[in-house]
Amino acid sequence: MRVWHIVMAWLRSVFLRGRREAELGEELRFHLERETERLVAAGVEPQQARLQARRTFGSVEAVKEQSRDARGTGFVDHLGRDTRHAARRLMRDWRFTLAAVLILGLGIGVNTALFSLVNAVLFRQNSVADTARVVDIYQDFPGGGAGGNTYPAYLDVAAYSDMFASTTAAYMPRSATFRQGATLRQGMVEHVSASYLDVMGLRPTLGRWFTDMEDARNAPPVAVVGHRVWTTRFASDPAIVGRILQIDGVPVTIVGVAPARHAATLNLGVHTDFWLPIGALPTFLGSDRVFDRRLNEPAFFIKARLQPAVTVARAQAAMSTLGARLAREFPQNNQGAGISVYASSGVRIHPQIDVVIAGVAAVLFLVVGLVLAIACSNLATLMLVRGAARLKEVSVRLAVGASRAQLIRHLLTESVLLALGGGAAGCVLAWWTTQWLMSLDLPVNVEVGLDLRVLGFAFALSLVTGVVFGLAPAVKSTRVELWQTLRGEGDAGAPSRRRFTLKNALVVFQVAMSVLLLSGTGMGLQMMAAGRTLQTGYAVDGVAMLETDARYAAKATEAARLFEELRRRVAAIPGVQATALTRGLPMESNGMAIVIEGAASAGGQVARASSIWAGPGFFETMRIPILYGRALDERDRAGAPRAAVVSESMARRYFGGVNAVGRRFRPDLSPDAWMQVVGVARAATTSDLNSELVGVQRFLYYRSIEQWAVTPKVVVARSTLGSAPLLRALQTELGRVDEALPVLTAKTMRQILDDSLVVARGSTMFFAAIGLLGLCLAGIGLYAVIAFAVTRRAREIGIRMALGADGRQVVRSVAVEVASLVGVGTAIGLGLSLLGVLALRVAGTNAVTGVANISLFRPSVDPVAMIVIGMFTAMVGLAAAVVPARRASRMDPLMALRHD
Amino acid sequence: MSDQTDLLQGTLDLLIMRTIAPEPLHGWAIAQRIQQISDELLRVQQGSLYPALHRLEHQGWIAAEWGASDNNRRARFYSLTRAGRKQLTTEVSKWERLSAGVNLVLQRT
Repeated sequence: MRVWHIVMAWLRSVFLRGRREAELGEELRFHLERETERLVAAGVEPQQARLQARRTFGSVEAVKEQSRDARGTGFVDHLGRDTRHAARRLMRDWRFTLAAVLILGLGIGVNTALFSLVNAVLFRQNSVADTARVVDIYQDFPGGGAGGNTYPAYLDVAAYSDMFASTTAAYMPRSATFRQGATLRQGMVEHVSASYLDVMGLRPTLGRWFTDMEDARNAPPVAVVGHRVWTTRFASDPAIVGRILQIDGVPVTIVGVAPARHAATLNLGVHTDFWLPIGALPTFLGSDRVFDRRLNEPAFFIKARLQPAVTVARAQAAMSTLGARLAREFPQNNQGAGISVYASSGVRIHPQIDVVIAGVAAVLFLVVGLVLAIACSNLATLMLVRGAARLKEVSVRLAVGASRAQLIRHLLTESVLLALGGGAAGCVLAWWTTQWLMSLDLPVNVEVGLDLRVLGFAFALSLVTGVVFGLAPAVKSTRVELWQTLRGEGDAGAPSRRRFTLKNALVVFQVAMSVLLLSGTGMGLQMMAAGRTLQTGYAVDGVAMLETDARYAAKATEAARLFEELRRRVAAIPGVQATALTRGLPMESNGMAIVIEGAASAGGQVARASSIWAGPGFFETMRIPILYGRALDERDRAGAPRAAVVSESMARRYFGGVNAVGRRFRPDLSPDAWMQVVGVARAATTSDLNSELVGVQRFLYYRSIEQWAVTPKVVVARSTLGSAPLLRALQTELGRVDEALPVLTAKTMRQILDDSLVVARGSTMFFAAIGLLGLCLAGIGLYAVIAFAVTRRAREIGIRMALGADGRQVVRSVAVEVASLVGVGTAIGLGLSLLGVLALRVAGTNAVTGVANISLFRPSVDPVAMIVIGMFTAMVGLAAAVVPARRASRMDPLMALRHD
Repeated sequence: MSDQTDLLQGTLDLLIMRTIAPEPLHGWAIAQRIQQISDELLRVQQGSLYPALHRLEHQGWIAAEWGASDNNRRARFYSLTRAGRKQLTTEVSKWERLSAGVNLVLQRT
């Protein structure tokens, strides 16, 4: 009951505060008037009586205050008043406030921006009606763990209509191009079944979904346009339904607009631009192998809506039965592979990928969390310094009776206010970042933005930050010896000789963390340097490539002829020494299982090799030496026996010796397509330098683009006149062959290799940016501490200078202090980074990531980078200390001695 | 002033409750009544009267109500609640024991 009473009083004080105040005023006024009347009645003159009544009463405001306190409802009033006071103090110290808000804004902004990204990828769920009834179904990898599904397996699952009210399959999202007017755009397409929206429980925004008939193989392709691309690219034009668009050069009829807020099958934050029937896959992929029951390319996701009474467990039981049956019937492909059922609400993208993404997100958060930690400790330093500078004010307030708790509350209010300001600044910063991210013309449609969850995160972060960086300084700066400070000695009377003070520890921490972040930059640079110096084994200088899509040409059926003409024209460009047709980027490889003729296949490990498409002239263009036999050339046409050139390493690995000419092998997927090895090439890397650096081992072989009925997409050439002019000439020639042919990619070989190091470059830039940010913050902290130390030691310095010490000695003593702080911080930071490098090496060696086959770059300890970082940090430290040191050395002894 | 006694901490609450036990009074009247009854020996610090009233009200021992004063003006009248009466009884007996004890000590030493 008492609790209830207090709560009600509290609520009243919150909501009826105005009335309560008015009543209190009236009550006290009545008292004063009554008292005046009494005095008048006793014979005092009215004017005098009023004054006397007031005097005996004392301060009306104080009584009001105490009455409010007596109600126990002072908390709300205090909060309001403290906030007002703190705001006023902060306004007065606007320079400090601005600096603090900016520092915190950076820390919180970086965190919030990252969180909004993670939010878009991990937390934003696509709209699905009654999600609790939807399940994800995966065929397991033979070794266990959810994998992907084959299309026949989807049909088997869908047959369980007693379990599932509706079932849908979705092919792995792929990027595609689509033509809008004269421009060719990049987009994401998904191939799903006609039952898709039944499972999602949604209705199209406009038009309809495609039907089973339209999902049949070889039916004329239709598509549903994604809601987001419809609004952003097609101006929400309802007339889009019925229009024909070219997707990947294929004319497709739009039959509807997808539901709003349903971005894609996967919760990746990437919006699907077009939904196409699965039946149209062969048209786009040029092969109907995706419909085979093979576990090598299980590229389908299955989602199903449970029948009313069915639980996930029951569905799992049914699927286990199915899994066992499939393993029996198709031992070659389904052996040991069960089927797993997950509630869709528990899956973001894919059970295996979710783990990886969560891991990456955690690492990113750890890193930007360090920035926030630096920012916070920085603020704590500033607050400490400020608190020490306000020692006198604090002492006076303590002396006139303010309690320490009150003072701490005031200081804490200040820091929380600062943090909230920082949070607001951080949100602005994060908003800019996300706007910038969105304005990039990315090939995928990602929606990164600030929503309530992100704002809530920023708010919580700033509150916690405010308390964390405010508490220790508040406690510390209210612990004062009254008589000392009031006599004007502060703690200058006994200059602290303690090395380990909170301020020093904070600065050391900031320096150490910045150094740690900067050494991340060193690691990225190391990787880029390694990529630059990697022996590729093929020509890079003077090589350029152009990618197009013949399906967009006016005469799309004559793709082969168009490319032949293109090749002829390119060969005729002045300076061109060799040219070849291929598909994908030059030296882009495609890993797959192979079967070696005559090798024991049963039981042992599956042989894997990576294929590279090569038209005639490829080896000459790329300058890859042939060690034995011959290169692929004009002889290897369609109809001739299939030929392949294998790399040295593949020959050694699978053919027992370098000279493998005459041996035969085939892709596991194509039972009758035996290839004869006609040559052995010198070892080369692929164009994906990143995976080369992390040590993915590949065995390369080259096969003829014509013999596999693959349409070329790329012309690659080598010129003596340099790759940049060659690139321009290639584009000119493409336009002459067919005006409608779009340029999908135009890059020099150097660009391709550099682009493949995007992870290294990205992490270099990321670490450099936040490392510098951290170091700047640490510099500010250092400046504040040194400047404060100089001020505090003003008297000591003054005495020393009066006794004949010159400015240089004073500077030296300041320098010693700076050097010790920076030195300890740098040493700790470098030590930590050393540990990090060792940990990465161990992790890379053990390949601990059992979930997905991730390899890590194994950095080495780089003494040069360490020295550079150490020197850089020392320079920043020096820069931070210069101003206060100069001020100390120019101090007028007289002024210094009188310094308060 | 010298023959007036400052109130002991806690006794003000007791005096207020005792004063309004017979009939509801407003703040000024409470102060006057205490002064009169104690033959001007006790003077209520007016600055501490109102905080005490509000505290007692907050604790639920007295209740306040707006009413008309003797000269027909709006004033806030305080009266004892049921819990307040019980509290008054305990406080009174506590006080009696305390003063008896103090008296004994003063007389026997």
